[in-house]
Amino acid sequence: MSKQAPKARNVPTKVPGIYKTDSVRDVAESLNITNLPDIVASALASDVEYRIQQVVEEAARFMRHAKRTTLTTGDIDQALRVLNIEPLYGHFPYNPPTFRRALPFPQMQSAGTVYFVEDEEIEFDRVLREEKVTLPKGVTWTAHWLAVEGVQPLIPENPPAIPKDIDPESAAAKQAAPSNVPGSIFPPTPPSSDRPSPIQAAKQPQQHIAVKQVLSRELQLYYTRLTSSLLPPTSDYAKRTAALASLRHDAGLSPLLPYLVRWVGQGVVDALRSGSQSENDGRVLEVLLDVIGALLDNQTLGVEPYLHQLLPSIFSILLHSALPPSHAVQLRTTAAQILSHLLTHYSTTYPGLSSRIVKTLIVGLIGEGKSRSTREGAIRGLMGIGKEAVRQGLVKHQGAKIVGDECMPGESSPLVELVMEALRMIHPPSTHPTPLNPDSGGDGTIIEELRGKLGHFFAERVVGDSAWARGILSDDSPDT
Amino acid sequence: MSAATPAASTPDGVSPSASNAPATDSAKDVTSNADQLILEYLRARGLKEAEKSFLEELERKASATDDKGKQPETAATTTISQEELVKQLAIFAQKPADPTQNALKDSSSVLQELSSTGTPQNIQNLISSIGQVGAEEILSLDPTDKHEGFRELEAWVDGSLDMYRPEFRPILFPIFCHFYLDLVQQGLREAAQDFYSTFSPSISSVHYSTLNHLSTITLPYHVQTDEVAQRFRTEKYTVRMSRSGFSLLVGWLTEGFGGEPSGSGEGFAGDKGRRGRAAVMRVVNNHLRFDVTSSPTTSVNARAWEESTGFLSAVVPQTNGSTTDANAFNQSKGELKLGPAPIPEDLRAETERTLQDQAMVDHDPGARYDLHYARQAPPPGLVAPSLSDLPPRPPMFQTVDVKREVEKVRDMRKRIRLDPSMLNNANASTPQGAASRARALPSICAYTFHDVGEGIPCCEFSPDTSLLAAGFSESYVRLWSLKGEKLKGLRSDFQSSSIRDSSSLSKIREKGGSTTRKLIGHSGPVYSVSFDPVGGSATPPRYLLSASADATTRLWSLDTMTNVVAYRGHQNPVWDVKWSPMGIYFATASRDRTARLWSTDRTSALRIYAGHLSDVNAVAFHPNSLYLGTASSDCTARLWDVQRGSCVRVFYRHDDIVSTLTFSPDGRYLATAGEDLAIRLWDLGSGKCVKKMTGHTASIYSMAFSAESSLLVTGSADWTVRCWDVKGAGGPRTKSRENGTTLTNGATEEHPPEKEETESNETTDLLATYPTKRTPIINVQFTPRNLCLVAGPYLSPETR
Repeated sequence: MSKQAPKARNVPTKVPGIYKTDSVRDVAESLNITNLPDIVASALASDVEYRIQQVVEEAARFMRHAKRTTLTTGDIDQALRVLNIEPLYGHFPYNPPTFRRALPFPQMQSAGTVYFVEDEEIEFDRVLREEKVTLPKGVTWTAHWLAVEGVQPLIPENPPAIPKDIDPESAAAKQAAPSNVPGSIFPPTPPSSDRPSPIQAAKQPQQHIAVKQVLSRELQLYYTRLTSSLLPPTSDYAKRTAALASLRHDAGLSPLLPYLVRWVGQGVVDALRSGSQSENDGRVLEVLLDVIGALLDNQTLGVEPYLHQLLPSIFSILLHSALPPSHAVQLRTTAAQILSHLLTHYSTTYPGLSSRIVKTLIVGLIGEGKSRSTREGAIRGLMGIGKEAVRQGLVKHQGAKIVGDECMPGESSPLVELVMEALRMIHPPSTHPTPLNPDSGGDGTIIEELRGKLGHFFAERVVGDSAWARGILSDDSPDT
Repeated sequence: MSAATPAASTPDGVSPSASNAPATDSAKDVTSNADQLILEYLRARGLKEAEKSFLEELERKASATDDKGKQPETAATTTISQEELVKQLAIFAQKPADPTQNALKDSSSVLQELSSTGTPQNIQNLISSIGQVGAEEILSLDPTDKHEGFRELEAWVDGSLDMYRPEFRPILFPIFCHFYLDLVQQGLREAAQDFYSTFSPSISSVHYSTLNHLSTITLPYHVQTDEVAQRFRTEKYTVRMSRSGFSLLVGWLTEGFGGEPSGSGEGFAGDKGRRGRAAVMRVVNNHLRFDVTSSPTTSVNARAWEESTGFLSAVVPQTNGSTTDANAFNQSKGELKLGPAPIPEDLRAETERTLQDQAMVDHDPGARYDLHYARQAPPPGLVAPSLSDLPPRPPMFQTVDVKREVEKVRDMRKRIRLDPSMLNNANASTPQGAASRARALPSICAYTFHDVGEGIPCCEFSPDTSLLAAGFSESYVRLWSLKGEKLKGLRSDFQSSSIRDSSSLSKIREKGGSTTRKLIGHSGPVYSVSFDPVGGSATPPRYLLSASADATTRLWSLDTMTNVVAYRGHQNPVWDVKWSPMGIYFATASRDRTARLWSTDRTSALRIYAGHLSDVNAVAFHPNSLYLGTASSDCTARLWDVQRGSCVRVFYRHDDIVSTLTFSPDGRYLATAGEDLAIRLWDLGSGKCVKKMTGHTASIYSMAFSAESSLLVTGSADWTVRCWDVKGAGGPRTKSRENGTTLTNGATEEHPPEKEETESNETTDLLATYPTKRTPIINVQFTPRNLCLVAGPYLSPETR
């Protein structure tokens, strides 16, 4: 109560002598008055300061009435005019003068830094030749809703909302953070990516601002514990199961989600990059897949905005050419399962998800120069998605033909078995197969068609069952 | 309540000024005599040093004036005990009473004097009278006295009881200013600057601008010429105090205690402190006027003490010779006619007939209630003016008048009703709460100007929202059609005889054109534009007024798109121009400290409203056009009787320049906003401040009431638009505020406390804050149907 200043504005502490007596003396010398008494100089300096203040106070009124918060040379001009002083010509508000710093005077250290107004020399010739006079665009206006019935709409014209709380929505809208070093202090979340998920965009426009959000101490600790119990894949099976269970069921982990997603992505990349032939890498990938599965299972998280970040990890495992042999099949199967799980849950809310996934898989299946294991993974993925996807890949895009062409005639490898299984998925083979008769007209065309679509290798294996063959082709025909 | 100067400063029968002349006369006679006695006295006391200096002084100043002769004596006495001083003082006090008598009587008579003047008041009389004789010179010449005196005063004020502190604090400011000016006047520049830097932080930040101004005054010449300094010198500064508070102050001034906790006044035992106290007293006597209220200390709001101080005698017009405070002045002016303006009977009949006709053909089922709206009873409690009270206007009404009145009725029916009281009990997180928000808060459409160049001091939407006009620093006015129509003027090459009907008139319209148009004519920044209100919301306006720094006001015809008249009269930049609500008349506000009333058909002013002590920054008409409000840089707003030209209300006061004002449509309230970032709501009838609304963090540029007068929307340089509850109680926000009353960005703040910045000074009646992107809002308007329009220039980060 006693000595407080209640407002933010502080009473200015007076800076005595802004206009120095030395300046007065300099001016006097320029007028050939060499012996100016000290007392006169200081009195003049004070008076000059007072007059300057007078002009500035007057100019401030003009500034205020011009609804500006910066004083311009125009205001000073107006102030001089009303004070009945000739204005200073040559200063325009449009091109504020640039002050250059003069080279220091070694002989007079006390002078301090000296600034001068740059006076550019203009060559008429050059100006006339270039004649680059650009007219300003002119004043325009735009209108937008600042508030609709008292609520400020979140449109680009309005400033972003002030972040209030770490609620799942806004946290989920934020993108993954860089930190992958467990236990480190979490850096502020970077600006969200330029690609907001469509569902999120529909619900609430993205906030394109860098929100500094720092995780609570508890969550940081949890994250450290969680990641350390999952990786490196220790033998402590119980601990890992507990961690996964926690991920699967615990609510309130959403602030961690960007960090977890990033951690998984980084882990997958690291494991695959290192050649990935070792047992250990296989186990790492297994764990990471489990983590992805668990994240997808957790109903409270709201993973949707992060799907596009999770998918590359899944695809990498599914389609990678050189998985550790001991875990390859298991890994690809799990990845395919996760993919199918993901599709069943999110394809409705994320339009275009399934077509994107299928497209990626088909590219993996039929692409030039893909390894057999990649093709295997693609088929597993398609199988995980469903019958239609398998037909799309194997029959319509002639995936079977491509795989068959790469196989030795009469070969029986896991890949071949897999393709057969996939074909069986399209249409179950009959229990009492009757072979197609190549001589009869109808059957002949079917055989031709089979060869065209599946290639010789697999056509031979299907030919034995006419119903099956018809099933594979017939269901296909409406599509084509 | 007595407005009289306290007894202390003007002792009965012996005023300080009266005592001065005889004292000097008598002093001449007694000089030699007195010198002798003093020498004897000093010897007896064994004060060798004082004696010696006194002798020297005597020799040196043998020919000096008597006042100077007294100087060493008093200086010497200050080194002796208090008791001695009082005795000496008593002697001086005696002189004016009997000038012919020898001042130095024997000691018995002195003692007699003392015993008879035992009461504090008499002792104070003594001190005040001696102050005029000789001590003053000495006191005012020693800069350390001022230092000491002010420090003691401040210590005393801060050490006083909590209940008294708010009423004592305002006294610091005038004393500070006078001390500073004294020091400057005596040419003690360093001492003045030292004094300023030591004590200015303790002065209430309310006086920021005055202090800043004073700090630049450093030469005696400035003190004599500077306006603010002269005001301090020549006018009395009024300080309001309660009776008990005042007696404590008098007690402290005279005896060095009173209201002060024991121990803290230690410095006052010394003579330095005593001299400092005398310096304070001198200012109190010469330059302050105490307004002693009979109301007890606790019943007055702490801020109110500060607000009722100032140069009241100058600011408040004097009624029958006696200076009073703003309240008394407002009361003396009697009742105002604040009711809505009456409509001439024939116009009303015609309007109702038109409404009935339209209700028959209109498909809108609501149209038949129009008549009900047209015949609404005037609001209770307001005296409605009669037709003869209104400023004169043409006796016949025109088609456009009927159209306007009909549209007014229709607007009233179709308007969005905004009722902020809905928010009071609503929890905004529930759906019902959201619904009540929609009922309470307006929709706001923001117009953002881009590439404004040097600046855009003003803009306005026409009442029918078909046009937007903006005045620019580059001396032109630009018009935009908001409906996308082309703005066409008339060609200049036609014979007026060839115009017979509207079709031949349309032939001479310009071809082509665009939706925007530049009006060129001014030779200085355009500070205000105003559309004529005759068409109301029914038809587009036909005229535009603009006011500029070139001291002219110009009338533009929107038919021909040309300048029709330039009104000259103001000697200085015209800050503001407003049409009267009925058209025909308009008012301007200027830097020359006057507001003027004009009619469009005369080039000279009809009335000059003079009285403000500084620039008139803004004008506004009362909705019934009987009164004119002005906002001025002298921290006050005034209400004038338009026709009589006399001031009828003074709204005292803001802490800084009052920059804008607006009347509520129901005619009851005036809202003013100042550079102190506060919005004040005044009751026009009583002239009293209803409440103060704070929350903006930069200058407030524009304000508008909703049509029901229940909501106030303000636009500010802090890039926000804020909505205020007019009817709400207001007051500073407590830490645990009610749930859901404040909305930021349209969402409820559910956990406000930890987010709240500590220096927030938002009052509870701030309903919502809508930030913009770097756009200071220079204009806020409500359409007749309660849609809020705001406008401002976008400031790109690079240029500013």
